[in-house]
Order: sequence, then structure tokens, then C-alpha cells
Amino acid sequence: MTGSLARKSLQLIPTVLGVMTLVFLMLRLLPGDAASYIAGENAPQAAIDAMRESLGLNKPLEEQYFSFITNTLQLDFGRSIVNGRPVIDMIKSALPTTLLIGFVSLIFSFLIAVPLGAIAAYLASKGKGAFDQGLTMVVMVIDMVPGFWLALVLLLLLSLQTQLLPATGPLEWGDPVSLAKRIALPVIVLSVGPLATIARITRTAVLEVLNEDYIRMARAMGTPDRSVLFQHALRNAALPVVTIAGLGFGRLLGGTVIIESIFALPGMGTILINGINGRDYPVVQGLVLMYASMFVFVNLATDLIYTKVDPRVKF
Amino acid sequence: MSVVSTPANLRIPASLPLPDFSGLRRLMGHQRSLIGLAIVLPIVVIALAGPYLPIADPLETNPTVSLQGPSLDHPLGTDKIGRDVLSRIIAGARTSLFVGFSVATIAVGAGIVLGTLSGFLSKWVDTAVMSVVDVFLAFPGLLLAIAMVAVFGAGTWQVILAIAISDIPRAIRLQRSMVLGLKTRPFIDAARMAHAPSWWILVRHVVPSTIAPMLVVASIYAANAILVEASLSFLGLGITPPEPSWGNLIKDGQQYLQTGWWISTFPGIAILIISIGLHLVSDGIRERLDPMMRS
Repeated sequence: MTGSLARKSLQLIPTVLGVMTLVFLMLRLLPGDAASYIAGENAPQAAIDAMRESLGLNKPLEEQYFSFITNTLQLDFGRSIVNGRPVIDMIKSALPTTLLIGFVSLIFSFLIAVPLGAIAAYLASKGKGAFDQGLTMVVMVIDMVPGFWLALVLLLLLSLQTQLLPATGPLEWGDPVSLAKRIALPVIVLSVGPLATIARITRTAVLEVLNEDYIRMARAMGTPDRSVLFQHALRNAALPVVTIAGLGFGRLLGGTVIIESIFALPGMGTILINGINGRDYPVVQGLVLMYASMFVFVNLATDLIYTKVDPRVKF
Repeated sequence: MSVVSTPANLRIPASLPLPDFSGLRRLMGHQRSLIGLAIVLPIVVIALAGPYLPIADPLETNPTVSLQGPSLDHPLGTDKIGRDVLSRIIAGARTSLFVGFSVATIAVGAGIVLGTLSGFLSKWVDTAVMSVVDVFLAFPGLLLAIAMVAVFGAGTWQVILAIAISDIPRAIRLQRSMVLGLKTRPFIDAARMAHAPSWWILVRHVVPSTIAPMLVVASIYAANAILVEASLSFLGLGITPPEPSWGNLIKDGQQYLQTGWWISTFPGIAILIISIGLHLVSDGIRERLDPMMRS
């Protein structure tokens, strides 16, 4: 297993390098002169020159690239132009929030979607396809609901009108109940996308597995349906579900950016948006790199879980 | 797919490498795509006809009717400065639909060209293209669009380009895998044996067989682009006022959630409806493809 881990990680190196190069180029692709764009058009020439100096834009391109790569590998993303804090510190304080709502949403959607999909497939295989068809339609529709719109609707109905859940306020890490209430709305909104995808994939995967010969054999031997489902069907259906869940993580990450800003959560997304609006490019750079690395890492982890869940698959 | 397209090929003079459009006829027959088109086409027509419709001017402010709920005069209500929400949604439809279809066209176009080249030409070209594609696919879609908009700035074409950049890699990948599959088929060998040049084989045989799946995907790209554009505009990064888009309409209503819920709600419903329509069209095409592929 360590062999395939090493091999997979090695294959990622060109991609990671490419990602860092792309982010490096983004700042230098700005229309016009990056330094004056960031400092503002009306800034005095001295300020623009100082900005150019601090961004290192005076040095030759290869030198800039080299120092960018070496700094990034040491997790030195520079300092924020707006408040002077090291970007890595800003990321560190925001990361727990984003990870919290991200993972809770993923787990929540799994807990709901997998049983729904499995039951739908089971009933369909028995000939009672109504639930299955209903679920497929509902899932298709809710997948297309704009996340931020749903957030506003739920905000109105569950928070502003009825005061059931808070819309703003700090995250109280020490108080589980208050924390749960605070993240309930963002989690509900974020789970919708993965829920739809996971339910659909689970249903398809379980349906396919239930048609396999070994299931028919187990039933012929008199195994109760419940055991058939849990011990055989779900295990074999797990593979595509895990893969899709890994892919869905990327969508989830994108979703957190908007949701955090709607619910005023101090996560990475809020810092990113503030950074873009404030033309704080070291912050934007660092965060984009951070998001991309998380995504790459999750895909790597998904591939590895792949091999664990199905020992027949080898890299 | 090649079995079905050959008869049409024979009817067209051999000197012109025209692709065949028999796929379009098949689209018409299916229920789902009909429902989808029944949803999408009227919206497109209304959006295009917008300025000529007998409804209020989307830019006309009228503070005396500020924040009024849905009524006979204003079927979807008014906003804070008295603008009619329905006309704003129709005006926003033009922008959002334009972005959606432009992104789909660019993404599918670039995907077909680059994917075909990558799949058909040498291993080196393929490795080079796929390495770049992998780098772009390492970013979550919405995030890449946000980053690109941060670079390009706000504005319609900037948004179109930003969203297209996140869809093009996926389109390239899809097209490439289809081309790789077709490359080994006997009809390609037959064409080569008939001394057909590579470009002819590509344009006349390979690409037409890949058009239908790309249409399936194009519809989804359009729906996705409309959603992403709305998200970007909502964040203030995409299309900014005074030009209306469904995204910034929703943003306008954000501060009036309790006093004017209709301002944000109806544009969101519009996005949902067009997404459903486009997905139905896509499903319809895909359903048509399946029995063909099995035969």
C-alpha cells in the first residue's frame, strides 16, 4: 500500500507544480501593471513603486518564479496588503471553520443519501418502482437549486421569520449545542448538492449490484434480504459511491465560498472574497493555492480508499 | 453511431466534408427533450423580445410604489426604488442566457478541437494537452471561475471567459476519450485504406460521431454556466449593476429579505426553471443515444 501511495504522490508532482505555476501567472496576467492596479490608480508614484518592490515584481521573472515556488513549499504566502498579517496565519485561523462545515455537510449528506438511494434501488428491484422514480425526480430538481438562493430562502424561513436558528454571531467552539445551531443552516444548504449526487449514484450502484449473480445465489440460499443488502450489496456498491463523493468534495469546496459569506462565517471563503474585493493579491494567491491543494489531497485520499475498499483494484 | 451515420454520408457528394445532422431529427422525437424545449424556448423568446413587450421599463424607478408585493400592476412585485421585478427578471434573462449559451458554445467548441487533436495525434501532443488539462482540473470549478474573474475583472465577456475556462478541460477530456475509442474502429482503417487524408477522416467521420454526446454535455454546461454566473454576480464579482443579471437581482433583494421577499425569490425560481429545462433537453438527447449505442 505504501508503494502505491508513493507512486500516486509522485504522479501528482507535475500537477501540483502546474497548479503553483498557474497561480503564479495569474497575478502577472493582470491587465496593465499589477502594482498600480493593486495600489490604486490614484496612488502616488512612490506608493506604486513601493508596492512593486514589496511584491517582488522588479526582479527578473525566473527569480520571481523560483522564490515563489520555494516560499510556497515552505507555506510562506507573504503578507496581506490590507492588514499586514502573514497570509498563512489568516488561513490557519479560518481553516477550522471551513473544514468544520465542509465535513459535517459531507457526513450529513452521506447519512441521508445512502439509505435513500439504497432503499430506492431495493424497492425498484422488487418491482415497487414508485419510490425510486419519485426520488430520482426530486433529487434531480433539488440538485439544480442555486445554493445561495436556497440559503437566502432558508435564512428567511428558519431564522428571520421564526427565530429558530441564528443567522449571525461567533462560532462558539466550546458549546456544542450553540455551535450546532450556528452551523445548521450552512450545513443544510451545503449538503443538498452532495446529497443529490450520492443518492443517485448509490441507487444506480446498488441496483446494478442487486442484479448480479452472487446476490441471486445468496437469496437462493435463503439469506434474509436485510443481510443481502448490508453484507453484500452495499459493500460492492461502495466503490463508485466513494469515487463520486471524492469528486463532489470539489463542488462542496466551491459552495463553502458563497455560503460562508451569506452566513457571515469566518472561514476561508470570506477571506477570499474580502481579498478579491480589496485587491489583496497575496491573500487571494495563498487561498487559491490552499483550495487547490485540499482538492488534490482529497482526490488522492479517494484513490487510496478505492484500493482499500476493493482489494482487486491496484495502481 | 458510425453504423447510423454512414447512409447519410453516401447521399452527400464525396467532395464536401460536411458533417451529418441526423442527430437533430432524433432529438425531436423524444418526450423529455420536448418538455425541456417547451421550457427553454419560450424563455429564450421572451428574453429576446423583452424590450418590445408591453411591460414596465426595467430601469424605470418609481419610489411611490417601492417594495410592493405581487399585484396586478406588478405581477412579481417591485423593489426598493420601485422598479418592476418581472421586467428586471426578463432583462436579466437576456444577460444570463447569453452567458450560458456563450459558455456552452465556447467550451464545446474548444473541447471538440483540442480533444480531437489530443486523441488523434501523437502521444506527445496528447501528454502535453492532458498535463495542462489536469492542472486546470485540480481546481474546484467555481473556485477557478472566481480566480479567473479576479484576474480578468468584472463584466460580461470576462465572466463568459472565466466560466468557459473551467468547463473547457472537462470538454477536452470527454472528446479525447471518445476520439480514442473511435480511433481503433474498423471504419477508420477502411478510410485510411482508401487513402483518405487524416484531416478528412477527422472532419468527415470522427467528429460527427462525437457531436451528439457533446450536445448532451453542452446543454449541461449552459445550465451550469447560468448558475455560476449567478453565483459570481451575487458575490459582486461577475456582472455588476446597472446591468441586470439574475445573480445580482438576488443580491439586490438580500437586504430586503423580510420586507420584500419577492425581489430575491423570483429570480432564483427563474434560474431553477431554466436549469430544469436545459437538463431535460440534455437527458432527452442522452436517452436517444443509448439505444443507438447498444445497437
